[in-house]
Amino acid sequence: MKKLLLATAVAAICSYPVQAEVDISGFASVMGGKLTSGSGVALFGLEPTFLANYPTVGVYEEDWTFKPDSKFGLQMTAELTEGLTATAQLVGRGADDFDAGFEWAYLSYTLNEHWTLQAGKKRLPLYYYSDFFDVSYAYLWIRPPADNYTWQIFNYTGVNAQFNYQLSDWSVSGNIYTGREDDTENKLLSEFFGSEPVREIWKDIVGGVLSLNRDWFDLRLTYMTYQNERYSGGQRVFWDGEDTRRGNFAGLSMNIDYNNWLLLSEVNRLALDGSDFDTYLLSAGYRIQQFTPYVSYADFDSEGEKHNTTSVGVRWDFHNSAAFKFQFDDVNDKGIGNNQVAGDSKAITMGVDLVF
Amino acid sequence: MNWFKVITLTAALAANTAFAEVAVIVHPSNAAALDQAEITRLFTGRGATFNNGNKATPLNLSESAPARADFDSKVLGKSSSQMKAYWSKLVFTGKGTPPKELNSDAEMKAAVAADANAIGYIDAATVDATVKVVAKF
Repeated sequence: MKKLLLATAVAAICSYPVQAEVDISGFASVMGGKLTSGSGVALFGLEPTFLANYPTVGVYEEDWTFKPDSKFGLQMTAELTEGLTATAQLVGRGADDFDAGFEWAYLSYTLNEHWTLQAGKKRLPLYYYSDFFDVSYAYLWIRPPADNYTWQIFNYTGVNAQFNYQLSDWSVSGNIYTGREDDTENKLLSEFFGSEPVREIWKDIVGGVLSLNRDWFDLRLTYMTYQNERYSGGQRVFWDGEDTRRGNFAGLSMNIDYNNWLLLSEVNRLALDGSDFDTYLLSAGYRIQQFTPYVSYADFDSEGEKHNTTSVGVRWDFHNSAAFKFQFDDVNDKGIGNNQVAGDSKAITMGVDLVF
Repeated sequence: MNWFKVITLTAALAANTAFAEVAVIVHPSNAAALDQAEITRLFTGRGATFNNGNKATPLNLSESAPARADFDSKVLGKSSSQMKAYWSKLVFTGKGTPPKELNSDAEMKAAVAADANAIGYIDAATVDATVKVVAKF
């Protein structure tokens, strides 16, 4: 199903070289960083580590590295006929040794001024920044705070209906989606949290997003429910005797961009099999011409796993299509025993984001 | 003497920039009423029709054209960088496509004069009878 859709989208793009106009756009980030201090986790034999990106296991260590947050993306969009477009996005991440793959591949059909239908492979729009996580130029920090963006699955294959309405001064937009993801060797679960290949399946995904925008105010509500199945080392995983468990995710995000002040916030909860995983973030920035200094706090709280990150940084829009960023992160891992993730750490990261 | 010239020229340019007005233009046959909120809606991809129900095709100037930065800051209330970040989010998530870009006031005028659905903007000083001005900022 996934392969067929991907092939269809690619074939659709390739077979219309003359008739269809193909737009190519892209984004890139070149970011380097290192730890300034870190505890590591003695229990797992883990050296001092700053886990900057959970799903792709982007880690900074004591030596300089450019891998965790560097990436490039190329997007090709072909308008096939009136209202029908095919889009493919190729993304290569340093965390995966720049092994590029199709992160998005979908067909899009504009029903009318308000509704668009899409089918194919897309990013799962769980959190506010989930679906443009890789396009760092589009947001303030070097990366969305790691403590919030921890979930191992970030794509899905399925269908999506998105809408856009204007109600007096309010712009009301959002989408409803359904699909599944079968990650045959999940990177976070296989490499970081375990030592055996883990196949992670999120099926019967049904979710929705509702956004309300007015001038300088932006409110977003998100909800998603799914069924989780897992195989570890080829063996079915059971939770309290059940081979399937349900997760329900809900989140609220509120952003303000007023008189050069930026206030960004997000509160989310995943209820998985009777346990709650709570996350929130709060960031504030102030725009002074091309410079936007900011502070940020993000928190993850569950029964066992608890950690937070305090960050300070600056974004400098030195060019119309590129921004330089510098950020300092201070991670506090409050988990005990097996609930530790990567221990405490302090790290600096800097580099350039651009779009073209 | 040379310094004097430079200063005078700089002052003249600064004054010019301060007083340069941006004219939002449509096809002469377009009778739609447009205010700043309406124009912002069309140029941020939040709407695709004029208030009389006709389809609207917004056209942008490229960043090399002087009126672009004025339009972004005076009408949309954003810097060109902020607008680029805004569109990046929409483009790479399949939620929107930015307006087509034209390189100069002359190209913009020609495009708007040739398309009954078009809406664009130019330096107010370059307006002529081929297009209709709906607002000035």
